[in-house]
Amino acid sequence: MSAELSRLEDVLDKIKHGLLPQWVFASQELYQLELEKIFSKSWQFLGHESEIPNPGDFITRWIVNDPVLLLRGMQGEIKAFLNSCTHRGTMLCVEDCGNRQSFTCPYHGWTFNTNGELVGIVAGNKVYGSEMDRKEWSLRPIPRIETIHGMIFGCLDPNAPALETYLGGLKWYLDIMLGRTDKGLEVRGVPHRWIVNTNWKVSADNFGGDPYHTAMTHHSTVELGISPRDPMFASYGHQIVLENGHGINIITAAPGLKMPPYQGLPEVLWPEFERNLTVDQLKVFSETVVMVGTCFPNLSWVSPMHGTGGSDEPLTNFVNFRVWRPLGPDRIEVWSWVMIDKDAPEDFKEASYRSYIASFGPSGTLEQDDTEIWTRVVDASRGFMAFDKDIQFNNVLNYLMGLDRVQPVDDWPGPGIAYPTCYLDAISRAFYTHWVELLLKDTSNKSPIRV
Amino acid sequence: MSLYQEIVDFLCYEAELLDERRFDEWLALLDDEIVYRMPLRITRDIKRASNIVDNMTFFEENKQSLTTRVRRLETASAWAEIPATRTRHFISNIRVEPVDSVYVKARSYFQVLRTRRSIPEPEQVFGERHDVLKQTKDGWRIVERVIYPDQPVLMNVNLSVFL
Repeated sequence: MSAELSRLEDVLDKIKHGLLPQWVFASQELYQLELEKIFSKSWQFLGHESEIPNPGDFITRWIVNDPVLLLRGMQGEIKAFLNSCTHRGTMLCVEDCGNRQSFTCPYHGWTFNTNGELVGIVAGNKVYGSEMDRKEWSLRPIPRIETIHGMIFGCLDPNAPALETYLGGLKWYLDIMLGRTDKGLEVRGVPHRWIVNTNWKVSADNFGGDPYHTAMTHHSTVELGISPRDPMFASYGHQIVLENGHGINIITAAPGLKMPPYQGLPEVLWPEFERNLTVDQLKVFSETVVMVGTCFPNLSWVSPMHGTGGSDEPLTNFVNFRVWRPLGPDRIEVWSWVMIDKDAPEDFKEASYRSYIASFGPSGTLEQDDTEIWTRVVDASRGFMAFDKDIQFNNVLNYLMGLDRVQPVDDWPGPGIAYPTCYLDAISRAFYTHWVELLLKDTSNKSPIRV
Repeated sequence: MSLYQEIVDFLCYEAELLDERRFDEWLALLDDEIVYRMPLRITRDIKRASNIVDNMTFFEENKQSLTTRVRRLETASAWAEIPATRTRHFISNIRVEPVDSVYVKARSYFQVLRTRRSIPEPEQVFGERHDVLKQTKDGWRIVERVIYPDQPVLMNVNLSVFL
């Protein structure tokens, strides 16, 4: 057991007291353990059904370092395979998306159909004879694939709990974002993809548990008159701690400030909301301004109301999901999808898309500043002082907000533990507690990790 | 000066304004009705389909939204550009096609190198731009710019600059 990993019990103790040792953002060894204990076991968002509407449609995705060929089969079913030829391992499909009935490996010509079956071998009978059973050389399926509201998740652990079990109470909130209209949401275009030199936990925790950063990080929009001057503006509403490290902030308007119901979504959709959501979900949704959170470990979303241009432009809602794909302890690839209700009027769809482009994605006036700052966290976390496991330099980060000070409410209509403010580190503490508990968990059936 | 020389001169001047952060002077070069877009590139087998996705973009701008972006850079809290990054807009391979007596189409290659803070490695984004330019009594104005990046995955931490 290495020096770093033997200190995870210390990390667990610290985070319960609102402190996070700074070395967890830049350790290569810890990163390898995260891949093994977290990313190979958890449900990972791969894409949305609307990205592959027709038989033969495919998209190529990643579960960290596992290339995934996600497709719609000829009978309309969703399938996912390791995107690697079973002959010599070559990446089978290098296109981002497209439509094919078969995939031929350029190395030796092995060809697979949309069921993953090996249907063609160059000079097959002459070189392999009839002894080789082609059925044994099908594409290797991703062990688990499940969908919810059109969101396709994959999991590399055959024994993982069902997706709905994994999501737990989060499903109630995903219903509001994704299950509110009859036909559901659709992805516009393709996801934004870009590289940010930070640790995946920094971005996941920022979206999950940190509405507090908005007042300073995004102060430029306050100066422009797009965001309110009140520094507490993102605190109103509830922070909700869910099981398995998930969390969501349901941000409402400042007391006394009148905002349109349902995030200003078109009135023509309201009857659909009433059809598809429960009375409790409708009550929460009608008062919501922003929904922002993280599905552990690395799927986040933001659904705010934001202007497309100057301070005189109307605030428009959009739904944005993103995966923080780890590329190393200090590097992520961001995948960011904008999704819009299929039943929304066309002019609203356009305004919603423009609102997203204006505020999020690489050029977004909010996200520009997030990503720059996230790189600064990791840039300052690689050194001897930050890495000291004995914490001789007070090299812990502050997650104390609200600890033993803010109590949950007892009348929240939805699942989870709801606190009456979003300026709170409750989700972050729960996120890191769950994270370190998974790292400490013995998954090998060998002797437990001694620390 | 030939039309070609005029356009080359104009695009180099525009690049200079951006690199010197003279954003108000840059905005003055944009027609009030400007369409400024940056669609996404994807990897596809181009024998069968375009590898540009036109309905998703990195920029989907008009004069007002570009003005808002410039005003943001003037605030005291646009952290992506505090301290200001350094850019070099290299514009080359310019081809000019007159449309009529007022408008021309101009295609150019771009490579924008950027350094942030004192990080030694530059970021870069490159590709081509398709412009429609308009001759006015005050000189050339940009009516339309569509920016086609070569990279499906951007290596820039953000696009807090104009291309």
